[in-house]
Amino acid sequence: MMAAGWPKMTMRTIVIGLGNPLLRDDSVGLRVAQSLRPLLEADKNIVVEEDYWGGLRLMEQMVGFDRAVIIDAICTAQERPGTVMRLEPNGIPTQRSASAHDVNLPTALALGRQAGAHLPPDENILLIGIEADDVLTFDENLTPAVESAIHIAVETVLDALSTKNASP
Amino acid sequence: MKRISIDPITRLEGHGKIDIFLNDEGEVANAYLQVPELRGFEQFCVGRLAEDMPNITNRICGVCPEAHHMASTKALDALFHVDPPPTAKKLRELFYSIFYATDHTTHFYALGGPDFVMGPDAPVAERNILGVIEKVGMDIAGKVLKMRRDGHHLIKMIGGRPVHPNWGLPGGVSRGITEEQRAEIETLGEDAVEFAKFSLQLFNDIVLGNTDYVDLITNEAFIHRTYNMGTVDENNHVNFYDGKIRIVGPDGVEFAKYDARDYQEYVAEHVEPWSYLKFPYLKQIGWKGFEDGVDSGVYKATPLSRLNAADGMATPLAQEEFERMYDTLGGRPVDHTLATHWARLVELLYAAERWVELATDPEITGDEFRVLPTETPTEGVGCVEAPRGTLTHHYWSDERGVLTKVNLIVGTTNNNAAINMSVKSAAEGLITKGVEIKEGLLNTIEMAYRAYDPCMACATHTLPGQMPLEVTIRTPDGEVLERFSQHLE
Repeated sequence: MMAAGWPKMTMRTIVIGLGNPLLRDDSVGLRVAQSLRPLLEADKNIVVEEDYWGGLRLMEQMVGFDRAVIIDAICTAQERPGTVMRLEPNGIPTQRSASAHDVNLPTALALGRQAGAHLPPDENILLIGIEADDVLTFDENLTPAVESAIHIAVETVLDALSTKNASP
Repeated sequence: MKRISIDPITRLEGHGKIDIFLNDEGEVANAYLQVPELRGFEQFCVGRLAEDMPNITNRICGVCPEAHHMASTKALDALFHVDPPPTAKKLRELFYSIFYATDHTTHFYALGGPDFVMGPDAPVAERNILGVIEKVGMDIAGKVLKMRRDGHHLIKMIGGRPVHPNWGLPGGVSRGITEEQRAEIETLGEDAVEFAKFSLQLFNDIVLGNTDYVDLITNEAFIHRTYNMGTVDENNHVNFYDGKIRIVGPDGVEFAKYDARDYQEYVAEHVEPWSYLKFPYLKQIGWKGFEDGVDSGVYKATPLSRLNAADGMATPLAQEEFERMYDTLGGRPVDHTLATHWARLVELLYAAERWVELATDPEITGDEFRVLPTETPTEGVGCVEAPRGTLTHHYWSDERGVLTKVNLIVGTTNNNAAINMSVKSAAEGLITKGVEIKEGLLNTIEMAYRAYDPCMACATHTLPGQMPLEVTIRTPDGEVLERFSQHLE
């Protein structure tokens, strides 16, 4: 396991925006990643990726990194659209983050660790959820409330990356 | 009434729901699988350039983007009236075989496998891939992850990007492979063959070696005698990339064999008021309801259906396993829903063998991998076997190649009627008057449904493959008696 006391500069970090670019608010994670990329490109210890999958593939993306930030749309139906939330892998309200085609993130992480992969410890994985309004319509544009949340999510990620080291 | 919350991450949002209605005697009257509706797919596509479709449709769903990419690319071949050169066809099939091996691996180990390796009655907390590793041994985690890593690496290498390839073009592909790349593909393909053999041995030892599991597979509640659909080559052997669509009846007799472009003469879609998802059926037989048998137009398009619809496998080791499966289960066709997992492993072995065959084909490194289209585009159908069933893309365009209409029949949709029937009969076998309805019930119902590896994501033209499941049991007047929610992990 990596040491929490490692110098900040050597902490390899991956920032992953998840989403479907065609399904309206589902693309917000991708949009946040696109906004972050130019802001973070000077830091060679930070990699910004856009991807599509949770579960095993998400775990596989994190292999070799010490820290991960994942940004995704979220549908709690309890928050106002555009609300930005910080979660941890085991803090997701239910563990049913499994698709019928995949396993959930905690299971995927456990699997990767059993196979000997170098993965960020749970406390170094931060999930940023942005409450979506519409994820059921094919459209490349976000709804206004979610669009206006992009800069808040960007600030949240930058804040997490800069203010905390081992525990974002 | 207890309402269980849906997982909050969008990736997980596509929410499946099973409603089971009981009659006055407390027995199962009906069972329905329902999925959310996604809106506006056709409107999204119409007015776009047809050649963009392989890169749009591969984003419909994160589960099998490669299948959509390939069906879409083939639809463009037809739309632009262009026949790709042999090297292009072989490269596409090579790519597709690698994808298949990767996808089937994930399904078996992460999803279907745990029910068997751990047993259907194992505690929920153990009935997952970690439980499998615990029981079978640690090195399996490394094997599964290596298989996935190799597959994704090669898909990216050949297809240009991870997950969503941007490689297929009307008339061929955008680039070929070098000798160095070919050699790597071959080496990793040989590893994949070994992995597939290992997986079948595991199934043999753990599942077939346990009479309880064999009894479960052969349980009448998990048997549906329907028509079977699959794509076959000129020898009536299974092919994932190209061939003719063959339909074989529950009596084992060939009912039809046709070119994919004629699909509308053979398949029609039935609509039920309670479901957004349509129910394809065999047009010449007609929709007779959710019924088994030769007189019902219900068909299945699953790994098991593909084997039932073919006369054999085109590679030697897969053919041996094909014969062993049918010998063990008492001849052809096999209608045991749970044998779909076994068929999936036979297909895994075939995909791996085909991968090596194509990687060692002298034409695979050829530099004629595209023919430029010169005809005016009109209409085109492209079809492949997606892991979850026959996938059809149908496009219409004006003379400039601007889309005027699109129609997709995706893998899981083919199986919509059969899934509902399987869910109902599993429920009937478990719920009888006076029997307490418990959590274990849910998993057994789920097993019937999971065998199809349903992907409601693109079945509703919807979200990347997620399917939390909720089961509601109702009285004849609709009052909720019980509600369960799926805990996949």
